[in-house]
Parts: sequence; structure tokens; C-alpha cells
Amino acid sequence: MTDHSPLTGSRLSRRTILGLLGGVSATAAFATAFPGIRRANAATTGALNIYSWPDYFSADDLAAYAAKSGVTPNIATYNSNEDMFAKLSSPAGSGFDIVIPSSGWIKQLADKNLLQPLDHSKIDFSALDPSLLNRNDDPGNKYSIPKDWGVLGVVYDPDAVGGEIKTWQDFFDAGAKPNVSGKIRLTKSASETVGPALWLAGKDWNTATVDDIKGTADFLKGFAKHVKTFSSFDPAALASGAIVLAQANQSAARGAIAQNPKLKWVVPGPWSEIWVDSYAIAAGAPNLDQAYDFLNFFLSPDIQVKETQYIGYPAAIAGLQGKLPADVKNADLIFGGAGLDFSKLTTFIVNPDTIAAYQDVQNQVQAAAGG
Amino acid sequence: MSAVLINDPAGDPRIAGRAFIGRAAQARLGDNLFAGIPALWLFVFFITPLAFTVVFSFGHSTFGGIALGFTFDNYRQALSGFYLTSFLRTIQFAVTGSALCILVAFPAAYFIARHAGRWRGVLLVVVLIPYFTSFLIRVMSWQILLQRRGPLEGILNFTHIYSGPLDLLDTQTAVFIGIVYAYLPIAIVPLYVVLARIPPALIEASRDLGASRWRTLVHLVLPLARPGIATAVLLTAVPMLGELVVPTLLGGDKGVLIGRAIASQYIQSENYALGSAMAVLVLIAVAVIVGALARLTRSFAEVSA
Repeated sequence: MTDHSPLTGSRLSRRTILGLLGGVSATAAFATAFPGIRRANAATTGALNIYSWPDYFSADDLAAYAAKSGVTPNIATYNSNEDMFAKLSSPAGSGFDIVIPSSGWIKQLADKNLLQPLDHSKIDFSALDPSLLNRNDDPGNKYSIPKDWGVLGVVYDPDAVGGEIKTWQDFFDAGAKPNVSGKIRLTKSASETVGPALWLAGKDWNTATVDDIKGTADFLKGFAKHVKTFSSFDPAALASGAIVLAQANQSAARGAIAQNPKLKWVVPGPWSEIWVDSYAIAAGAPNLDQAYDFLNFFLSPDIQVKETQYIGYPAAIAGLQGKLPADVKNADLIFGGAGLDFSKLTTFIVNPDTIAAYQDVQNQVQAAAGG
Repeated sequence: MSAVLINDPAGDPRIAGRAFIGRAAQARLGDNLFAGIPALWLFVFFITPLAFTVVFSFGHSTFGGIALGFTFDNYRQALSGFYLTSFLRTIQFAVTGSALCILVAFPAAYFIARHAGRWRGVLLVVVLIPYFTSFLIRVMSWQILLQRRGPLEGILNFTHIYSGPLDLLDTQTAVFIGIVYAYLPIAIVPLYVVLARIPPALIEASRDLGASRWRTLVHLVLPLARPGIATAVLLTAVPMLGELVVPTLLGGDKGVLIGRAIASQYIQSENYALGSAMAVLVLIAVAVIVGALARLTRSFAEVSA
């Protein structure tokens, strides 16, 4: 759903490659046919199985945890929430202790009884940033603990765009300018393409009806002719001027600005997206105590500071920005830029009734961009 | 698989043969078992998933699941509006890609077959070696070659063939460059085989009787090369119907082909029923193409015999 890659250094990122082998979900669907192929989950103690995005923990911190607890976590990875959802729904998904869905998927996972409610007596929430807790995707944090978060915004070359971008309207208007048309990157995520059009029409992407969603198609298809690519965010393309206006998350933008300091970053109004990748505990987790032990270790403040530096996305601890070492470049960009207004950010909550409509619009926009 | 053979003497034709020499029935049993292993493999890993796909295609989608049933709704949806357009666009894409591929492959194959002399073998190996490296890596290399400030831009600017920044990456042109490159070896090989088998005497006779080079090509070489061309079409057009890597990497994921549309039904929309129906339709299209081309080459064999 969200389009975040910790490996923003190169277009040829590992996630891009793995994403291309995306038949994974279909494989998981067929796995129901082969109940014999199950994850080994013999050990109930002394082991920990984590299902995570690739490269989402620093190796140093994992080694520190192994030294402290004597347990080296087994980490299996996925490249999209959809893959993770398909696998957890199938017999191949049993045996995991900790999973890290994006916040918008928690309700779907919980509704399918794939997660277990957290025991709040075993986790210290007090150090975590209150603006990331008790959000609409998981009221009361019944199932999830924020791990790190990102926002949807725009990175652009102010010379080419010829002005400042403040709203999504500015974004779409800028795209039609001769210096900008044909040099735009949109995301492949349906909600992140349709969302801005819905917000401009005064609608909430979580309550929009199928008709509302389909209603954005004509406008977005008209805009599609200005789009150069829907591929993974490529900082080099922004550095060379092949792309001058791009949807991106703050960490990807930070990578591009490091290569080309004249680029600007903005989280446009009236609304934009926040996604929170969150720790959750799988239903039937075989190593429950170990899972809580791991979570408490990784939620401790000094580990959160190290993890933030490693993955380039802010961990969930309150006052984190002040704790980062002074030599971290463009540190405010890690936190979505100066003056980020959390009250203007919304999380996309996956809804089976509308998800296909979003994807249909996305497919049509991508098709229209091909001429 | 080999472990099974070693642990099960009856399954190993060598051991079975030695123990029961001269007993035809037993030997046949061994042969059958030996043949049964790939058949079982095919059944489990090809027929079963295919059967699931067909069954799914008549079902109702639940979010990330299937409620079995019998409805043609999925096929109706897959054959209307946007999905039909994608399907037709994909066929057009495969036809264009395959034609371009053969246009490039034919002169190359002709040169290797008729003018390369003792270098034939070396040239064929040179053509084929890239094919044994990862498809993904080969296509990604084109990203580097075609991107702004990349090697191609440097060469074109240096030679003054083209000046200024090169914006080929993320265009249809880049997609077709990538497609032709990726499928070229498997188009060259069948063309080489038929062209190398045309007796030089036939071509000499045609020239002696006053036919121009062009007439010789059109009226002699091309008809004789027909089975090779049909095979090359088969080997390039069929995989192109399912292509989604090249448009993603080199075309900026613009212009949705059916392979991408099917993937999006399975992965993003969690609609396995519609995705399955679309997959079955692609399979039918492939079967039709294979059937038509097989007929084309067979009629040729009858004529020449």
C-alpha cells in the first residue's frame, strides 16, 4: 500500500527486484492446496520468528539483542502489505511471532483473526510519541505498537516548477507546465494516486464511496499524460533533471536532496498521508514471551535512536529529534520537514469494499499514461 | 527427486534392469515408474495450480480469498471495458515486439548461417551467452545505458549524432529496445537452423537464372525459412503476452499490459477470481497462437515432402 523503501540509494534496490518477482502472493494463495508445506515451528522457547520488510532492523542492534537474550531472531521478509496479508492468511504464514504491517492493514489482519491483542501490562508505552498512539487505524492500540512512520509528500525542482507548491492543487497545476510535463513521477500505490484528487474534492479517502473513487478517474487520466514514470523513486533521476516533480515519502526525498540540494520538499494540503509501520503479534505466536522481550528491547530509547539512523525513518519514541547526533544531515527531513502538522495527516485504512475501485483507477491512470 | 530414486530400487531403471534382466514386463514397469516421476511433477506443479486457477475463475472473490461457485461474471468483467482494452493492447504489443525481434534477428541469422564460415559456432555462442545470465540483470543494465547522463547519451553527444540530454528511459521506445534485446537470441537460433539448411546450390541456381538478390530472398529464402520464422514467432510472442518486467523497468510502468493487470488483481485488489479469469483468457490466447503456428509449420512440412 504505502510506497516506502528504506533502500532509496539506488533505482536497482533489492525491494525493486523482489517486487518484480511479485507472483509471491499468488503462490501464497495456492499454498492452501499444500498444507504439508508449513513453516517449521517446533521450538516454543529459545527462538523468535519475525516477518518484516527487508532490511528493517540494523544488524548491530540485532546482534546486541542476540548477545543480551541468547536468541537470534529468524527474519523472513515481504515487499508489500499485500504479500504479507496473503501469506499470513495461508498455512505458510503460521509460526511467526512478530509481524510489521502498515497501520492501514491492522484492521483487516485483526478481522481475520491473524493477530492477537497485546498485553499492555508487558509493554511500556509511556516513552512513545502520543501523536502516533491511539489513532483511527487501531483505537487504544489494541493490536499494534508504532515502529516507524512516513508521510506522503512532494519533492520538486523550484526552478522548473516556477513557484512554490503548497497544496495538491498546486501539484496538479505545476504538472501541466511545459517545463514539468513529462518529468513527473507518481507512485504505483492506488490510494496515493487517488487520495490527493479526493482530498481536493473535499472527501475523506476512508469514507469515500466507490462512485467517489471512480469519479476521480477522468481528472487523473487527464493528468496522466504528464507522467513519466510510476516506477520506484529514483534519486538519480531527480539529480539529473529527468524528473523535476515527484510524489515521495520524506526519507526518499531526503536521499534526493542529499544529491541535489536545490530540490524542495513539501507535504501538500489540504490533507496528506501518514503511514505507521507497526509491531503486532501474530495469533498463535509460538514464542510469546520472547516476542515481548524483543519488543521491549527495541522500544528502548537508545535502540530507537540507532534504528532511526539506520533505516532513515523516525522511530516512535517521543522527543526523538532532539536525541539524534548533531552530525545527521537534514535531520528535520527524517521527521517530515519543519512544521509538519499531524492534524492534517490521515492513514489509509484498507477496506475490502473499495480497494478494487482504487486499484481500477490506478490501472486506468497507468494505462492512460502509456498513450 | 534423485534421493527418491536411490532409496527405491524399483524406481531406478538401472538397478531394476540388472535384477530382472530379460523380464520384459518388469522392465516396462521400471520404465513406467521412471516416466511417472516427471508426470507426477508436472501434475503437482503445473496441472494442479492450473486447475485451481480455472476453478477460481468461476468463483466469487472474497477479500484475499475465494468463495467457490459457478458464475461467468469474472469473464464478463475481464472481457469488457478497461480489461478488454488491456488484453487487446497486449496482443498488439506482442505482435509488434515479435515482428521487430524477427526483423532484427533475420539478417543476423542469415549472416551467421551463410557468410560466417568457420566462425559460425563462435558467433552463435556469442549470441547465446547473454541469454544464460539473469533476465532481470540484463534488462536493468539497459536502465543504466539509457538513463540521463548514461553511456548512450555520452556516445551520442560525443559523436554529434544527437546533442542534449537523452530522455529515452521510461518511454515506449525503451520498452521495445529492451524487448528486442531480451528475446533476440531465441529468435536467432531457429532462424539460423532453417537458413543453414538451405542448400547453397539453390541460391546459386536462382542467381544463375537471373533472379535479383531481392527476388531470391523473397521467392526462395523466405518461403524456405517459414518454419523457422513460425518457431521464432512462437518463442517470442508467447512470452511477450505475459511480459511485465520490461515495461516496469524501462517503460516507467505506463500502459498497462495484461500481465500487469493480472498481477494487480491478485496482489493489490485481492481479487483472485477476476485475476484467474484473466489468466485463463491469456492461456486460451496462447493456445490459439500455438495451434495456428503449429498448423503453419506442419502444412509446410507436407508440401516440402
